[in-house]
Amino acid sequence: MNEQNTDAIQPVNPGTFTVPEDDTPPELLGGYCRTCRSLYYPPPRYCPSCLEEVESCTVGGRGTLHSFTVVRTKPPLGLPQPYCVGYVDLDGSGLRVFGLLDPERVEDLVLGARVHLTVRSMGHDGRGEARLRPCFTPDEAGEGS
Amino acid sequence: MGKVGIIGVGQSAFVRGYPGSIRELAFEGFKDAMRDAGAKTEDIGASVICSAPEYDKQRSPAGVFAEYMGLTPQPTFYVETLCSSSSTGLKPAYSLIESGLHDSVAVIGFQKMSEISSAESQERMGRGADIQWESPFGTMMPAYYAMYARNHMATYGTTPEDLALIRLKSSTYGQINDKAVYRKAVTAEMFTDPESPMSGPVASPLRVGDCCANADGSSCIIVAGEEKARAMSDKPVWILGLGAASTSVNLAGRDVFNGLTVGIEAGRQAYEMAGVTPKEIDVAEVHDCFTIAEMMAYENLGFAKPGEGRDLIRGKETYKEGSIPVNVDGGLLSKGHPIGATGGSQIRTIVLQLRGEAGDMQVKNPEIGLVHNIGGVGLYGNVTILGR
Repeated sequence: MNEQNTDAIQPVNPGTFTVPEDDTPPELLGGYCRTCRSLYYPPPRYCPSCLEEVESCTVGGRGTLHSFTVVRTKPPLGLPQPYCVGYVDLDGSGLRVFGLLDPERVEDLVLGARVHLTVRSMGHDGRGEARLRPCFTPDEAGEGS
Repeated sequence: MGKVGIIGVGQSAFVRGYPGSIRELAFEGFKDAMRDAGAKTEDIGASVICSAPEYDKQRSPAGVFAEYMGLTPQPTFYVETLCSSSSTGLKPAYSLIESGLHDSVAVIGFQKMSEISSAESQERMGRGADIQWESPFGTMMPAYYAMYARNHMATYGTTPEDLALIRLKSSTYGQINDKAVYRKAVTAEMFTDPESPMSGPVASPLRVGDCCANADGSSCIIVAGEEKARAMSDKPVWILGLGAASTSVNLAGRDVFNGLTVGIEAGRQAYEMAGVTPKEIDVAEVHDCFTIAEMMAYENLGFAKPGEGRDLIRGKETYKEGSIPVNVDGGLLSKGHPIGATGGSQIRTIVLQLRGEAGDMQVKNPEIGLVHNIGGVGLYGNVTILGR
């Protein structure tokens, strides 16, 4: 994991993932509609079915890799080269989410891989200011569920 | 309701770095189509201008173009759906005619990709993704299609070599199309030769050779009601079917990762309206912004069953002499992809084919043709069926 002090670094897309100060694993934050019990990620302000405001809720941080790619062209936003993105089917909520994948673990990325969420300083906000980004990494053998 | 016919088609050459302004670029396609139709500006009842505005320095180009082309005081409209803008423009044109509001409409598509720097272009292309939820993670067009390619390969056993075959076909025809931006030969060896630019990794599993050529260009389609079409043209091509669909911008909202649902849905609508089946299509233009996109189009349009698209290309069935010729003008891969002009250029190719005027690219005696044009990563889809 990242050695640098991440306290002062602001998250990209605030309110869409937790930034734990202890050993709790980070999770994505989605939206929950109390009326129709739908879950959303990313969280909308309103539920399109009920037109009611949704409330913030955790939607998990573990799942299975549905697809991914390793991008070798010049990265935007100060992301590492190469960087990896993919879709993860989250355990429990069943939501499919898009996000960054661990660029240090390219060789462990395979379809169906078990992954978990980390939060780390990666890239900047477009104006050079560092940002925390959620990033899925493959589980180590015997790790997790 | 009478029929709606296409009486004129035109396009500019697709080139890198067009030296003139966007209105001059658009005029090239317009001039070509007006000559083809034998039309004068007073014959045109309205214009529909199509582009993806993130590339244009000019805001609201429709008014500027209408003036430059002498199409004032007729009404003009601006339409955009990213890379499918000009086939989208055909739908309002058709509707304006069928409603009786106008008896002819010019659909003008253009894009000067070099209007801005390539770094700016890359960044703006990425804004066609969801800028709130996807762009912060560094998205770009090849990455999305790469993920479709990976799942297609995992599900059906399609290989990178199968995708390379699609590029070989495209280069076969790009070499003989004088409007194409990429006119060199491409060989299978280039995809494995580390010295060849074609083999360069872009977003795994896609390589440089799997990606289409950027270009500047314009296209124009002149559409008329049945009576006017018959009066002005001795070889009108009729619009038999129009399908259009959309889906979620964020790919996470999609169930299928082996094909584009908008292509399936737009195809279903167009086949139903035209009253034809995939087997009756004699020649097709499909949206091959990446090789995998053409492979998925074979399957989404019913030319092959899901997972069997590779058999079509392995058997050369989509070559000019095959059972279902596809992109025998070089496609986006070799002809080039000036995004707002692309759909109109595809329609032009099929109209020329149906008239028997496609020269060296001519397919034997086609009666029904199909155009499949996609905007974004399967965000918008249009399928148009044309007949003699």
